[in-house]
Amino acid sequence: MANLLWLQGGACSGNTMSFLNAEEPSAVDLVTDFGINILWHPSLGVELGDNMKALMESCVSGETDLDIFVFEGSVVNAPNGTGEWNRFAGKPMKEWVRLLSDKAQFVVALGDCATYGGIPAMAPNPSESEGMQFLKRERGGFLGPDFVAKSGLPVINIPGCPAHPDWVTQILVAVASGRAGDLTLDEFQRPKTFFSSFTQTGCTRNMHFAYKVSATEFGQRKGCLFYDLGCRGPMTHSPCNRILWNRQSSKTRAGMPCLGCTEPEFPFFDLEPGTLFKTQTVMGVPKDLPTGVDKKGYIKLTGAAKAASPEWAEEDMFVV
Amino acid sequence: MSDSDDKIRKQAEKLLKDGLKTEVFPRAYTQEQIQDVLTRIRQSDGSLEQRLIIGGFTLYPIEDEDIEQACETCMYYLVHRRYCELPELDVPVEAEWSCRLWRI
Ligand code: SF4
Ligand code: SF4
Ligand code: SF4
Repeated sequence: MANLLWLQGGACSGNTMSFLNAEEPSAVDLVTDFGINILWHPSLGVELGDNMKALMESCVSGETDLDIFVFEGSVVNAPNGTGEWNRFAGKPMKEWVRLLSDKAQFVVALGDCATYGGIPAMAPNPSESEGMQFLKRERGGFLGPDFVAKSGLPVINIPGCPAHPDWVTQILVAVASGRAGDLTLDEFQRPKTFFSSFTQTGCTRNMHFAYKVSATEFGQRKGCLFYDLGCRGPMTHSPCNRILWNRQSSKTRAGMPCLGCTEPEFPFFDLEPGTLFKTQTVMGVPKDLPTGVDKKGYIKLTGAAKAASPEWAEEDMFVV
Repeated sequence: MSDSDDKIRKQAEKLLKDGLKTEVFPRAYTQEQIQDVLTRIRQSDGSLEQRLIIGGFTLYPIEDEDIEQACETCMYYLVHRRYCELPELDVPVEAEWSCRLWRI
């Protein structure tokens, strides 16, 4: 039996919503079949007020073993580093985060806000938000760069806005069933099993990407969304086209560009009109090129690919 | 489709050969410039002439910092149909033409 405690900081509850939609295993299966004992969760916990506080205190004192601490949402430090804007059970939430992280065997940061700061940490960051062990690309965050949980692992980052239910449940199951040793994390502490490939891996528009045929409107069934609509699929690490959403589809399959929500810099847009869902260019060349491709190579490749493109690539191949 | 494409392509070519003054410069490089050109096209009468003028069309590629900006390599260009699919322009073109909305 692995005890799990889940708290929310500067969050919209999106990751909770996503988690509650999990199937195979569902949140219930985690409890009944995988030995996860949910001590408390914002939507599932039954304790209120003093009882909730007593429960957390018993985790902090060591009376109750805390195996997995999941944190969703940013760590809020405002105003002036006090964290008073986000109080919970009698103290700033950030104090609970520190106390519980020090006691937990595993600490899981869930969603972009908890991992890297996400939307709340966008400039000018009025809530003084940061992620558990990162602020955007910079290692450190609230717990500091050297933090490791009792298991010896740093914070396990499961980014996403929100994270896919399977990313969460599979990591929780791995940890609860004693297979955490199999987890390898990348430089941003994301489990490599999910975050080594790109959103583009498995995208149905790959042929259009290869032949440089562009979609010019959302939902178009032909064309790739990289050239005009700002798709970040070629430079975003996620399994969104390998582990489908609702077991059905993905953003890019449906004709909606990837926003890069699993990368530390998300959200990438700078709030200027016309910068969202639009490929940003410098003298007509995309500002952000597919990972590992340089500008010269990109221009050469595009010329050659367009010249070689077959006629069918310009037509709608997904005919009803 | 291709007959009517040919007809419009020829019209465009004739207009440009006859000396239609188009706004070749400044090239639309920044997001603001692109938006500005697109908005002006949307607000124009939408005629072929206006699209050519505001789009800054030429019958030859414009070169800037060693990059040749021809329809041929532009991501809005359909190679087989010889067509510009940018919704605001939506016009048959030739591979060696160019406009200031070029992007690769
Ligand atoms: S739509 Fe996006 S993910 Fe799909 S092939 Fe194009 S760039 Fe890649
Ligand atoms: S497709 Fe991109 S934006 Fe959408 S969930 Fe996947 S990584 Fe995030
Ligand atoms: S947008 Fe591209 S394809 Fe269209 S006319 Fe301009 S250069 Fe040619």
